[in-house]
Amino acid sequence: MTTVLDLQSIEKSFGAVRAVDGVSFDVARGEIVALLGPSGCGKTTTLRLIAGFEQPDGGRIVMNGVDVALREPYERNVGLVFQDYALFPHMTVAQNIAFGMKHRGTPRAEIPKKTAEVLERVHLSGVEKRWPSQLSGGQQQRVALARALVTEPDLMLLDEPLSNLDAKLRHHLRIELREILSKTGSTTIIVTHDQEEAMGLADRIVLMNAGRIEQIDTPERLYAEPKTRFSADFIGQSNWFEGTVRGDGADGTAQVDTPAGPVSIPLVNGFAAGDRIAVCVRPERITLTGPDLESTAPGQTRVAGTVDAVEMLGSDIRVWLKTANGAQIQSSTKYLGGPRPKVGTKAAACFNAADCILLEAEGKRE
Amino acid sequence: MSKRYADAFFFTGYYGLIALAILFALIPIVIAVVLSFDNRTFIGPFPPTDWSFRWYEEFLTSDYYHQGLKTSLIVSSTATLFSTVIGALTAIAIDRGRFWGRGVLQSLFISPLVIPTVVIGFGVLMFASRLGIVDGLPRLIMGHIIITFPYVVRTTLAALIGLRPSYFEAALSLGATPYQALWHITIPLARTGIIAGAIFAFVMSFDEVAVSLFLSDPFTYTLPVALLAQMRANLNLTIAAVSVIFIIVTIVLIWALDRIAGLDKIVGQGVYGRIR
Repeated sequence: MTTVLDLQSIEKSFGAVRAVDGVSFDVARGEIVALLGPSGCGKTTTLRLIAGFEQPDGGRIVMNGVDVALREPYERNVGLVFQDYALFPHMTVAQNIAFGMKHRGTPRAEIPKKTAEVLERVHLSGVEKRWPSQLSGGQQQRVALARALVTEPDLMLLDEPLSNLDAKLRHHLRIELREILSKTGSTTIIVTHDQEEAMGLADRIVLMNAGRIEQIDTPERLYAEPKTRFSADFIGQSNWFEGTVRGDGADGTAQVDTPAGPVSIPLVNGFAAGDRIAVCVRPERITLTGPDLESTAPGQTRVAGTVDAVEMLGSDIRVWLKTANGAQIQSSTKYLGGPRPKVGTKAAACFNAADCILLEAEGKRE
Repeated sequence: MSKRYADAFFFTGYYGLIALAILFALIPIVIAVVLSFDNRTFIGPFPPTDWSFRWYEEFLTSDYYHQGLKTSLIVSSTATLFSTVIGALTAIAIDRGRFWGRGVLQSLFISPLVIPTVVIGFGVLMFASRLGIVDGLPRLIMGHIIITFPYVVRTTLAALIGLRPSYFEAALSLGATPYQALWHITIPLARTGIIAGAIFAFVMSFDEVAVSLFLSDPFTYTLPVALLAQMRANLNLTIAAVSVIFIIVTIVLIWALDRIAGLDKIVGQGVYGRIR
């Protein structure tokens, strides 16, 4: 796999704020990478550094083997789709698409043909003569995509590409976007704060927080094996049990004493008796049972409590259980019909040792 | 019910006041227009008893006024041309540039002009004589550029501030140099502001008296200066006729301004429409 982009310890400060603080990752040809993180985490600054609108204080931005950190935007072959699309309002769709080709040296005679081709690729044929203001939000987004794609950039950058669209359309366009990008084989970086968007579009996710990278992984591994507490909390929902590891275990499990009671965890290397650890359990791994059943299977944990709140989401039903010590446990199950659990009834949350994600109590493992 | 009466009373007073203010502003104009058709050779009681076009004829046949009108047109159009170019470029520099004192310049140009025109007139006179410029025409053009270009800066700046910075950056990412992005994207998108500024500049220049008084010479004088001189020498109603011509020219230009600004609302919907 050829590496198209290689960021090496990029740093950028604005005044006293370290917006990007030693960020390194690479992108292979044809890969879709999502830069994910909360607002202010430095993902947009990283994008602007790659596009050339800002220049880094330190580090190297290597594109196809050449350090481009100090090059002007027009000296890099990077296509950009803006959050607000930035279609030129005084130009028709065709003129918008032709703009990049004119400035990137496409022969004039080829422009109409290429325009038609790229519009077909984004499923928007026949709108050449329209003005941007005559298009819907989704159509504008696709024209912006076509405008960037048509010059065949080495790297496509998409800044929050779906955030300006309504929920239904967003889902539809996400699938279409994925299809267009993989069909063109574009190497792409998507900046987003929406974990669903990142999970749905990217081959790999670069999770950022406070100017630093928290974790780089595939969507599956990021969800199943978060490396930090931030990762676990940012992607999906989680229940946390903090406590001290007790040595005695049975059948390959160990016990952790937590305020909610003992929790069974798998016996893995790295933790010894007396260590403080944080146990994360995803809501969908928790099943609710009646209050009287005793824990049967070894390695299973039961935490008793009362139903505190119920949220009906259609396909899923979410139940919050309040334990004796006041902690809340969230469970999420497929809704299969019938009445919802009543608030105030006694119940117990059950989960297996295998479903526990183990982190050091302070946050980082290792 | 008393609340309703109070409200009705308030609004009657409110609209009455507005009507009075409008009347107060319009009456002098109406009087000037009516008097320009007066046939009497003296300024008699209003309304006139006898009508004619004699003052218009006088204006059209007077070499003195002709000379003034010619100078005015040359000075105003030349000054407008320079002001538009200098003003638009200044506005772009203030909007896009990152330099010391940018904020001060921006607020200075956005706020109403603070230096009295008399001061500008005197200053330009001194400055021009230092430079050895003694001819009226270049002096007048200099002075008029100075008083009109802030209008172009202001209207262009207003248009630029409304532009999303992503347009410029999109152009750069598509391979345009900053100069090309400016020429193909920023300036066309700010054109409403630039054209409005140019029309403003022309109207202001055409109407200007104080600066022109300082910078005129016995053979080069603008129309308003000619009017003023005539009024002092021999008061007659040619002034009223010229005023009417002034009003017509101004109305035509304001109408053009509205047409251009209104036109942009149709063509330029993308700037304001749909997205957010």
